[in-house]
Amino acid sequence: MAQHILETDGQVCPFPLVEAKAAIAELPIGDELVINFDCTQATDSIPRWAAESGYPVTNFDRRGDAEWTITVQKA
Amino acid sequence: MLITGLLLGTALGFVMQRGRFCVTGAFRDIWLSRNTRWLTAFMLVVAIQSVGVFALDAAGVITLQEDAFAWLATILGAFIFGFGIILAGGCATGTYYRSGEGLVGSWIALAAYALFAAISKSGPLAGTTDALRSVTVPLTNFHTTLGVSPWVPVAFLLTGVGLAVRHQLRKPKLNIASLPSQRTGVAKALFDKHWGAFTTAVVIGVIAILAWPLSWATGRESGLGITTPSSNLASFFITGDVELVDWGVLLVLGLLVGSFIAAKASGEFKVRVPDSSQAVRSIGGGALMGIGAAWAGGCTIGNAMVNTAVFGYQGWVSLVFMIIGTGVAARIFITPGSNGKNASTTTALATARVS
Repeated sequence: MAQHILETDGQVCPFPLVEAKAAIAELPIGDELVINFDCTQATDSIPRWAAESGYPVTNFDRRGDAEWTITVQKA
Repeated sequence: MLITGLLLGTALGFVMQRGRFCVTGAFRDIWLSRNTRWLTAFMLVVAIQSVGVFALDAAGVITLQEDAFAWLATILGAFIFGFGIILAGGCATGTYYRSGEGLVGSWIALAAYALFAAISKSGPLAGTTDALRSVTVPLTNFHTTLGVSPWVPVAFLLTGVGLAVRHQLRKPKLNIASLPSQRTGVAKALFDKHWGAFTTAVVIGVIAILAWPLSWATGRESGLGITTPSSNLASFFITGDVELVDWGVLLVLGLLVGSFIAAKASGEFKVRVPDSSQAVRSIGGGALMGIGAAWAGGCTIGNAMVNTAVFGYQGWVSLVFMIIGTGVAARIFITPGSNGKNASTTTALATARVS
C-alpha cells in the first residue's frame, strides 16, 4: 500500500474536492490519499463525498487554525 | 432600533459560517454532482419564511407590496449574477461570511461587489439599470395573477418542499467521518459539531422571518437584503452621508462580525491569500455580482430567498436564471479538464511508501 499526498492549501472550494476526485481516480485499490486543505466548506463536502463513494476515512483532523487533513482510502 | 440589524446580521453570519450554508454550492452541486441536498435546504428556508411573512402580513405587522415585473433586467441580471458567484467563489452572503473567515479573495470580491452595485444603482451605470428595469409586464406575484389567497401557493410550496426534504432524509444513513471533538456541552454543539443542512435551514428561515418586522420598525420596508445595503455602504464610504446607514447596512456589517466570531471561536479563522488567478477571478466575479444583482433587483438572498417567499415573479425567474448562470460558469471554470489548476494534480501528488 502506498500513501499519496495532495496539497490543496490556498485553493477555494470546490477545487479541493475536484482535485481529490481526479487524484483518487488514478490510484490503485487499497492506496490512501491524504488531502490537506484550508477551505472550510470542504470539512463538509470531502467526508460526505468519501462516504457516498464508499471510501473509508482513516484519518480526519485539524492541522492548525483553518487547516485540516483527511485520509481517504480507495476501495 | 437600527441596532437590531447588527444583531440579526451577527446571528445570520454566525449560523451561515457554522452551517457552511453556501447558496453558490447549492446551485453548483445541481450541475457538478446532480446533488440537490443543499438546494432542498435552500428551498426549506424559502418555505418557512413564506409562512411567517404571510402570517405577519395577515396580522397587519407588515404590508406586502410589489412593483411590476421587470422581466428583461431580471433575466439578464440573474444570469450575470449566477455566473459571477462561481468566479467569486461565493454568493453575496457567502462572500460576506468567507470574508469573516479570513479569505482575502472574498475581501476582494466583496469590495468589487459593493463598488459595482453602487456604480449600477446610483453611479454612472444607473441609467442603464433604470432603462433595463423600465421594461416591465403588469405582473407582480403568483397569487394576484391567479386571484387566490396567498395561502394557496404557500400550501403548494410547503407540500413540495416537505416531500423534497423527506426524500433527502429517507436516503440511507451514511457513516460520515467527523472531526475529533475538543469541547463539551453547548460549546461543542456551537463550535465543534457538524450542523446538518436542514437544521441550518430552519434557523436561517426563522432569522429571515424576524428580519421583516425588525427592519420594518426602522422604516426599511423589506426583509433580508444584501445588495442595496452593500451599495449604500460603498456610497457612504465615499459621500459620508450617514442617511445611507440604515438597518440593512448594519445587517451586512453584522454578517462580518458574526462569521468572524464563529470562525475564530471554532479555530477556523486564518488569513488566506489567493493566488493571482483567483484574485483576478474575485475581482471579475464581484463586479459581475454587483451589476447582475442591481439589474435583477436582488441577489441570492433578496431575490432567490426572499422575493420567492412572497411569490414574486422577480424572485422565481431570478432563481431559475441564477441557477442557469452558475451552470454555465461551472462548466467553463470547474468541470475537470477545463481548469488549469487540475492539470497540476499529478505534480502536486507526492507519493510515499508505507510499510
